[in-house]
Amino acid sequence: MTKAVSGISPTRMELIRLRQRIALAQKGHDLLEEKRDALMMEFLGLVRRIRELSKETFGRLSEAHRKLSYCMAWMGSAETLQATLESRKELKLEISTRFIMGVKVPMVEGVRTERNPVQRGYSLHTSSALLDETSAEFERALAQLCELAELSEAVRRIGLELERTRRRVNALEYILIPQLKSMAAFIAFRLDEMERDNFVRLKRIKAMLERREGGA
Amino acid sequence: MREDVEALFLRELSRLNSHLPKKRVTLREALQNPEVELADGGKHRFRRSELEFLKSLVPEEEWDSLRLPVLIELDPKLGRGAARIRGAAECRVVARILGKEEKPELILYLPEISELRGKLPTLTDYFLTA
Repeated sequence: MTKAVSGISPTRMELIRLRQRIALAQKGHDLLEEKRDALMMEFLGLVRRIRELSKETFGRLSEAHRKLSYCMAWMGSAETLQATLESRKELKLEISTRFIMGVKVPMVEGVRTERNPVQRGYSLHTSSALLDETSAEFERALAQLCELAELSEAVRRIGLELERTRRRVNALEYILIPQLKSMAAFIAFRLDEMERDNFVRLKRIKAMLERREGGA
Repeated sequence: MREDVEALFLRELSRLNSHLPKKRVTLREALQNPEVELADGGKHRFRRSELEFLKSLVPEEEWDSLRLPVLIELDPKLGRGAARIRGAAECRVVARILGKEEKPELILYLPEISELRGKLPTLTDYFLTA
């Protein structure tokens, strides 16, 4: 208590000021708690979505790899490799930002990964239909990977903000508000003491005056 | 030292709503330009697919009265995990999405907020008030 009250003058004005600061800190604490709850809800929602999407994406990728193995067995490794070298590799993405409780997160839009065999760029004469199916499967997986990357980055940034907010809430709850309260309690105690001192002093003066008047 | 900590918190509190738009836009405006400028100078973009979803849900005569993003008002006075939606058009569309009764002011609870945010992540935003 002595540590918390050092440098504080025990006056009524100071007590009023402290009570205002406590009310403000309490309000801030409530608001930050609301923010923390909302961030937590967003975080959990994103984690759930990532879990579902990862399962779906890895399923699709393993299917794509299975098809690629068939393709290599059917067309030959060298021909398949040649076709992949011939294919066009550019992917157009529209990346913008959105905000979740003040946290800037990326937003990927307009992901069009699926192409028809002509757009892919490899020779249709020397490749098999299996290669088209394999490519389509990989393209679908790529769209999901883009979404997964967007969600992963969002969850990372929200996690950091959540941690920051949690620290602020805890600092208010366990350090600042208790310190302010203990200071207010100390001042209230000192003011009561001073009031009692005055009361006793006045009583003694009154008794002295009465004694003096009685003696005279 | 204590004043420093308090100043830090005051700064933190003053930034709580800095992610809100300077001016909300109507659904019609958002369909033409799916972007709003924020109070802190940043830009928030609405997802096209969500706008299309909302377009299918809202009759055309309400496109000028529905303002985006729809604000989910978090007020500690409502209790933890509760939120408020204000605005006639906003309440109507949220009630339709969540299958709730239409009222001039809606009170939502955590599972409903989560469902709403899941369906319209870029078209809704949190607003902290005390």
